[in-house]
Amino acid sequence: METLAPSKGFKLKLAGKPDTSVIRLARPATVGVSAQDIPHIRPKLLVKEKEAVKTGTPLFCDKREPAIQYVSPGTGTVKQIRFGARRRLLEVVIALDSMDDFVEFDPVSSPDLVKLPDQELIDRLKQGGVWQSLRQLPARDTADSATAPPLIIVCLNGNDLFSPHPGRVLEDNIPRFEFGLAVLKRFCDRIVVAARTSSMEQLNPVRHLITHQVSDSYPAWDPGAILYHIKEKAEENTAWYIHVQDLLHLARFLQTGRYPVETMVTVTRGEDKKPHMIARRGAPIRLLAGNFPAGSLITTGRFNGRKVDPDTHLGFFETTLNILPDTPEDEMFGFLRPGLNKPTVSRTFLSCLIDREVQLDGTLHGEERACINCSYCEDICPVDLMPSFIMKALHGDDIEEALELGLLDCCRCGLCSFTCPSKIELSQILSRGMDTHHKDKQG
Amino acid sequence: MNPIKKIFDLLEYDFSDAGKFAKLGPLFDATKTFFFLPSPKTRLGPFIRDHLDLKRYMSVVLLSLMPVLFFGMYNTGYQSGLARGESLDFWSAFLSGAWVVLPIIIVSYAVGLFWEILFAAIRRHPISEGFLVTGMLFPLTLPPTIPLWQVALGISFGVVIGKEIFGGTGRNILNPALTARAFVFFSYPVTMSGNVWVAGASGVDGITGATALAVTADGGSSLTATLADQGFTLPHLFFGLVPGSIGETSALCCLIGAAILMITRIGNYRIILGGIAGLILTALLTWLLPGTYGTWADAGPIYHLCAGGFLFGISFMATDPVSAPGTNPGRWIFGFLIGFLTVILRVANPAFAEGVMLAILFMNVFAPLLDHLVMKHRISKRIPNV
Repeated sequence: METLAPSKGFKLKLAGKPDTSVIRLARPATVGVSAQDIPHIRPKLLVKEKEAVKTGTPLFCDKREPAIQYVSPGTGTVKQIRFGARRRLLEVVIALDSMDDFVEFDPVSSPDLVKLPDQELIDRLKQGGVWQSLRQLPARDTADSATAPPLIIVCLNGNDLFSPHPGRVLEDNIPRFEFGLAVLKRFCDRIVVAARTSSMEQLNPVRHLITHQVSDSYPAWDPGAILYHIKEKAEENTAWYIHVQDLLHLARFLQTGRYPVETMVTVTRGEDKKPHMIARRGAPIRLLAGNFPAGSLITTGRFNGRKVDPDTHLGFFETTLNILPDTPEDEMFGFLRPGLNKPTVSRTFLSCLIDREVQLDGTLHGEERACINCSYCEDICPVDLMPSFIMKALHGDDIEEALELGLLDCCRCGLCSFTCPSKIELSQILSRGMDTHHKDKQG
Repeated sequence: MNPIKKIFDLLEYDFSDAGKFAKLGPLFDATKTFFFLPSPKTRLGPFIRDHLDLKRYMSVVLLSLMPVLFFGMYNTGYQSGLARGESLDFWSAFLSGAWVVLPIIIVSYAVGLFWEILFAAIRRHPISEGFLVTGMLFPLTLPPTIPLWQVALGISFGVVIGKEIFGGTGRNILNPALTARAFVFFSYPVTMSGNVWVAGASGVDGITGATALAVTADGGSSLTATLADQGFTLPHLFFGLVPGSIGETSALCCLIGAAILMITRIGNYRIILGGIAGLILTALLTWLLPGTYGTWADAGPIYHLCAGGFLFGISFMATDPVSAPGTNPGRWIFGFLIGFLTVILRVANPAFAEGVMLAILFMNVFAPLLDHLVMKHRISKRIPNV
């Protein structure tokens, strides 16, 4: 096992780490399939409102490649198709029946897997609605099945600091995990399995399968950050990655021939220590979040998730909810206070002298100003970018210079925006630059 | 509800776009956010943000300036007492110094703020906190005898030509406070040098208030001996009880300020340490040169460090992040070359007794070039992604 210990990243200790016990949530009345957490998708609806669907019935596909389908995680009727501004698809909501009726595929056992031809395997995964859990760097688009990847990264930890613990996710699923790795081996010989140091203790049963142990400061376990630290040549940039739960779903789908309907989710709020929850995929946010104060900000990852409306449903890739408290009133002489309770990665508040768990609310703590070249973004960037210089290149429409400076290595962790004293939305500016570049390349 | 908050809420409408004082909106906004730190909700990810903002950032710089400011006030009073032949106790020296220094600072802030508001109102953007520092730095680089109208003219030049015509804080290529000082220095050389640097000494004969850097030895004695003759012993230079510009005389207070900046990481330690290293090495080199006996080339690194405004400049002026390079290797080189140029200017060009101001301004111009070279190097090290 190799150890990757990049020196940069987010080093504050946040409060609210979930408890490692596991509970099972009640069956929800509705489930949803969100199109908002799927990068680059141009959804095309395949169902109408009031239509009956089985578990595994395709609800919408990606217009760019119609074989990529997003299927219903439950049996029932399409209750509502919600659109946002400019008729952008937000989510398809299914009212659940009491019993599940599955779209059935032939189960694939380990010996079958060897015999299954490549193309058939790929088609099966696409029909089953699980292929898209394989993502391709650097744009994080759906993996392109036409070209073999240079390597596949299996991420045992999720996008947030408090995503489900891989020890809990894997504990009853080790054979399935091995089966999943065998499936990935069909596409590529080089499989990287990476876990955070703090997760290792509970991963002893799969220790022999883990190839890289990464440092415990966010976002060291992000696939983009892992790739940046292990890659040796430019060809490796197009690596694929998959998160552990998605790999288990993929394996379960092949083994049972049925679309997997349950997933493990964590919910964090303030200093709560909520247990891990096994919930229906696409469960309603309200069911997962439980009680929370009015005005709270709910996100699916405090750094790189999206803001969710409590009346919607959890997305395809999402496994965690952070509930951030409401803004307190503007503080009198806020910038002159010693700041014992103001967590910061800088050293400008006394809080930096105290080593304790901290809480951060969902506000900017200041106003946007021009970039003053302070390099705080560079000092924290896990992939050694100079975000402020890339931002300036992008503002000047100089995509070439931005790419030269390593724009596509950006792992969208959001730390540059987090730390910027001028409150510039660096992460958004860089993401937009990458997305535009990806779109242009696709033609 | 907080009574001050109530006043702001009452006035809010008049200063909004629809109100009668719409043009003064930025002033209202700046005053309001001074009292109440705004913290709007995050709209885009990441949804949590660090507590450090530009107000705090600039406040730390002001905090680091407090030792030189207070010492400068005391020293101004002390020197003027000395010139009049009175010996003042601490408080009367401090108060008489403050009586001289405060008007300069008030004029600097008031006139500079006028320009800031004017540009902010025309451009409809909020007033940037960077001015808090410029408005304080500029007076500290001036001799206490400066006429107030020159202060007003200088800060106007610094803010308008040094900063606002480039687009405001964050877009200037030169340090605005130093631009202002350079303007006054070249426009009114009589008030910026010579024998009139002691406040409140007019009408007293026989006062030679020349700064240490204007001293050269003649008649075979060494420079250090001549300096000591004129009251510039090393301890005096280090603690700062010598005539000079308000903020620059005390090496000790500058070092305290530099330490605050480096510990809080608001000032980049690479610039400060690089600058000191550059100065020491260059001063050692000129010290080893033959035939320089009795000039500043012969002074050695310690005297170069303590005399003049080098420590003030490298700690507070060169560390201005906007006009310094944005890359770490660039910062080392930038600092080092400032130290180098300071000694070279002091030694080779007696017309400009103080070299640090010109060295920093010169290197400000080269900062983008340093960044460019460093970035080219870094790009060549990266595994390309396209």
